[in-house]
Amino acid sequence: MTALVGEAAAADETASLKGGRMAAEKALAAIDPIAYAASRNHLDGAVTRLSPYLRHGILSLDEVRNHALASVADPRQAEKFIQELAWRDYWQRIYLVHPDRIWNDVESYKTGFEASEYDSELPADAVDGRTGVACIDQFIAMLYETGYLHNHARMYLAAYVVHWRRVRWQAGAVWFLEHLLDADPASNNLSWQWVASTFSKKPYIFNLDNVAKYTGHDINTRMADNRVLALSYERLGELLFPNLEPAHG
Amino acid sequence: MADLIWLHEGALRRTHPVFAAAAPGTAAIFVWDRARFAAGHVGARRQLFIAETLAELEIEIHEGDAAVLLPQLVAAHGANRLLVPASPDPAIIGQIATIRQAMPQVAVEQVEDTAFVTLPREPDLARFFRYWNKARKSALRPHGV
Ligand SMILES: Cc1cc2nc3c(=O)[nH]c(=O)nc-3n(C[C@H](O)[C@H](O)[C@H](O)COP(=O)(O)OP(=O)(O)OC[C@H]3O[C@@H](n4cnc5c(N)ncnc54)[C@H](O)[C@@H]3O)c2cc1C
Repeated sequence: MTALVGEAAAADETASLKGGRMAAEKALAAIDPIAYAASRNHLDGAVTRLSPYLRHGILSLDEVRNHALASVADPRQAEKFIQELAWRDYWQRIYLVHPDRIWNDVESYKTGFEASEYDSELPADAVDGRTGVACIDQFIAMLYETGYLHNHARMYLAAYVVHWRRVRWQAGAVWFLEHLLDADPASNNLSWQWVASTFSKKPYIFNLDNVAKYTGHDINTRMADNRVLALSYERLGELLFPNLEPAHG
Repeated sequence: MADLIWLHEGALRRTHPVFAAAAPGTAAIFVWDRARFAAGHVGARRQLFIAETLAELEIEIHEGDAAVLLPQLVAAHGANRLLVPASPDPAIIGQIATIRQAMPQVAVEQVEDTAFVTLPREPDLARFFRYWNKARKSALRPHGV
């Protein structure tokens, strides 16, 4: 056993979150569902980082929910947090009933492109974290350094890969699975499909204003360093999805 | 009746109901299955995390193909029932099927984790909010009852 830990540790000395039930209980004791509801969309918000423990069954969704309820006066104060836990339950149910949806497009892309028009491999500059888009490169570095990304950073990276670089979501999903500490085929792949629009009504895109709104000063959101993101949603829609009818209104 | 527990990387805790379903003192085994890890894209960082978790759990660890090793381990432990935490992972489900075939005389039972929500019938999974509208009430109650 010690040999296994040693071998894995030698392969990666940068992991930040520690495994084990003790570390999980410590993280659970620190959650604050009220602060979570107010700030969870921000990269420095009161998110819990419980995902690796939930992914590996070190904590159950049931006990995390019970703990959240016990820490508030009214269950509704914990509703936002419990609803996020429910996302995990929802994806796991799909995994069990429709395992084929984990790697196949659930629906077709609603981007004006066929699946065959997307590259099946990640571009080398994305793998290297040197796309030249400053905030994207920072998110890639975070992924490699910590194995954790805030939900928004995951959405930004996934959208960048699929819609700006026109890469099939499957390639991005494998990339995340290999690096995330909470890597879960259901939560990960179905979220990639949600961003891609193969499991949602429309593609998810973002712009630099959105990144600036939800990140702190540690993320470079200067226009000059993030040109391809520094556009209005209307303009981005025209550039990224030229085959689609322009949205009115 | 002697039991054996096969813990996998989706259920790494002693409070999982699989332990309550087994006879007191039943041994639990983890199989470090490199081929399944590789097929599931389990990277080095996650392997370390899993190894740290196992070190704290203090359970028996074997290395190899779970589908091949478990029938041998069941025999070595003189067990006639193998209990496994239920998993949606098709790789684990496939290994359970292979194990069943290899030792038809041994009962292989999957044990569900404690439920997050209690639903009267299978929910509509087409979109999250269809599920949430049905699950919300139960989700906001302790133990999801
Ligand atoms: C492209 C993409 C890939 C993702 N890949 C994964 C993955 O591999 N594994 C994973 O667990 N989550 C994944 N998520 C969902 C979500 O981003 C993470 O669960 C969350 O950011 C984990 O951080 P946290 O524990 O601080 O979350 P918190 O916001 O504190 O939430 C608490 C818990 O609720 C669950 N949860 C919250 N949001 C979601 C969600 N949208 N989907 C599923 N569960 C959720 C998680 O178990 C999480 O630990 C992905 C999202 C996207 C957009």
